[in-house]
Amino acid sequence: MADALSEASDLSGGEESQDEDVLTPPELIARLEEAWLNEKFSPELLENKSELVECVMEQLTHMEENLQRVKKGDLKASIHRMEIDRIRFVLSSFLRSRLQKIEKFFPHVLEKEKSRADGDPSFLSPEEFAFAKEYLANTEVYLKAVALRHMPPNLQSVDMLKAVPEPCLDSFVFLRVKERQENILVEPETDDQRDYVVDLEEGSQHLMRYRTIAPLVSSGAVQLI
Amino acid sequence: MFCEKAVELVRELHRMTDGQLPAFNEDGIRQVLEEMKALYEQNQSDVNEAKTEGKSELIPTIKFRHCCLLRNQRCIAGYLYDRLLRIRALRWEYGSVLPTTIRFHMCAEELEWFNQYKKSLATYMRSLGGDEGLDITQDIKPPKSLYIEVRCLKDHGEFEIDDGTVILLKKNSQHFLPRWKCEQLIRQGVLEHVIS
Amino acid sequence: MDTQSYMPVPPGVGMEENFLSLDDILLSHERLPCKTDTSFPKLGFLEKTSESHDIPENTKMEMPLWMAKGLYERKRHVISVDLPKVYREGWRTVFGADANMVDLHKMGPYYYGLGSQILHFENAENPEIAQSILQTFIGRFRRTMDSSQNAYNEDMSALLERLDCLERALFRSGQNGLNAFQLWERGRASQLTASSLVTNYRKRKITELHS
Repeated sequence: MADALSEASDLSGGEESQDEDVLTPPELIARLEEAWLNEKFSPELLENKSELVECVMEQLTHMEENLQRVKKGDLKASIHRMEIDRIRFVLSSFLRSRLQKIEKFFPHVLEKEKSRADGDPSFLSPEEFAFAKEYLANTEVYLKAVALRHMPPNLQSVDMLKAVPEPCLDSFVFLRVKERQENILVEPETDDQRDYVVDLEEGSQHLMRYRTIAPLVSSGAVQLI
Repeated sequence: MFCEKAVELVRELHRMTDGQLPAFNEDGIRQVLEEMKALYEQNQSDVNEAKTEGKSELIPTIKFRHCCLLRNQRCIAGYLYDRLLRIRALRWEYGSVLPTTIRFHMCAEELEWFNQYKKSLATYMRSLGGDEGLDITQDIKPPKSLYIEVRCLKDHGEFEIDDGTVILLKKNSQHFLPRWKCEQLIRQGVLEHVIS
Repeated sequence: MDTQSYMPVPPGVGMEENFLSLDDILLSHERLPCKTDTSFPKLGFLEKTSESHDIPENTKMEMPLWMAKGLYERKRHVISVDLPKVYREGWRTVFGADANMVDLHKMGPYYYGLGSQILHFENAENPEIAQSILQTFIGRFRRTMDSSQNAYNEDMSALLERLDCLERALFRSGQNGLNAFQLWERGRASQLTASSLVTNYRKRKITELHS
């Protein structure tokens, strides 16, 4: 994938590399793949990656435009077309995972957003936030219109925060360590076990409770696989 | 016992494990709502009696009925919410236009929910950048090739591909088409992906 | 993978129930042997055997779990909840001897779910019940997992018939994994397929036409 991509950047004329702090296309796609796997395997919604998504979208548009200039029937063209399709798949799958979690946990996602301190990064992109709000309103209106308004006065509302389950942070995830970690506290599985600490070596792979390593996922120290 | 009608609604939906949407059971809902009304009225009058005549022995009975009211509310909420999840799935599997047979299974409020959902999703996808945004209901599986061999399972009429060529999708005809143009038609069962 | 778009609300974990989960709603419809510790005036009609206007104190009756949970209070005596026989000592001994021999569907089908739920009611035997449920699960898990991972295109109905709801769900997810793996091995993982919703609707339409 990387080869075709660096070619893609040749095709793009290399304008982007002039901006400082801008990723090369292969780096950009590597970031996208990391974000994608993390989002796919974490039980809760992770921080939004709006900027990354925007860059990948721009990259795709760029590649499409360049493709128009390549002669038809050129073998290069089909390789690039294929590359576009693959990036679009990863990007769509990533955004799909996020949207699925937003729908599954919408009251909790919105609550988290409400209680977020000023300056803290938002978990939702502005567009996702709008979507979640509409989803909540739409669902509440529906429940009310079909049944709740016909119920006795004290039963005309359902607390969505209590009704819709929260993400299960105790589920287990596979992970690969990117930066060595010391003294990670592991909680006991059963009453006759005690908690203990482990060191996570760089490059090692583990199966652990998500809750234990959630901060390491958001800091980028471990990669879910 | 109370709440039998309500749990019957839930059972009816639960039996269809694959996510199909059975017809909206308006009559079932109405019967549960009637039972709730009766329970509530009995409780109101017993609450008054307990207050004015000091009959505290009525409290367990009032509590009993209140449990039934909560149970009925939960069953209905569960029934309706699960139907929404099924309706949501339809948007992803069929696209934004539903076959009439399925629309017949939905009540007016469900159609309204579906339309709103469709709109929210479209707004979101349009916002993703580029000229037209990004249709994330496509590209469900990782692509292996640009073109795929497809067989037509029913007459679908004319179909335009990228470069402007128009082909006729006739039952049992076989074509070699750009993968991303076919995905939706395959999901809808119009085309079949042939792997040699 | 994200190929199945209908994702129902999952049942709660352990002693929790999920309000909107259809599985949990049906689980909480399971009946428990109860006894009234107070009288319930005006509700006598619910007891078919009695002619009286009230349900008197000390009446033995079966109640669904949701009702028992709603009425039960630790401090005040409204109802007391007895153990269904599969959780009593006699059956616990049977489960302890060889959990694989037991038909948990017949005994359940919510053996684990209901077992976790009755821990909400105070009972001296609760620690043993919790232990017994856990051991039963562990004792049977290997066989459930092995068969779900190895039986490809085989008729498993004899085994499946004897599984509890939770075990069936585990079995199914194992089978889905196995099937996906087999498809991948035969190079068919990337084959685009019709939505199962669409094909099932079509099947149903055809059977309706023929009936």
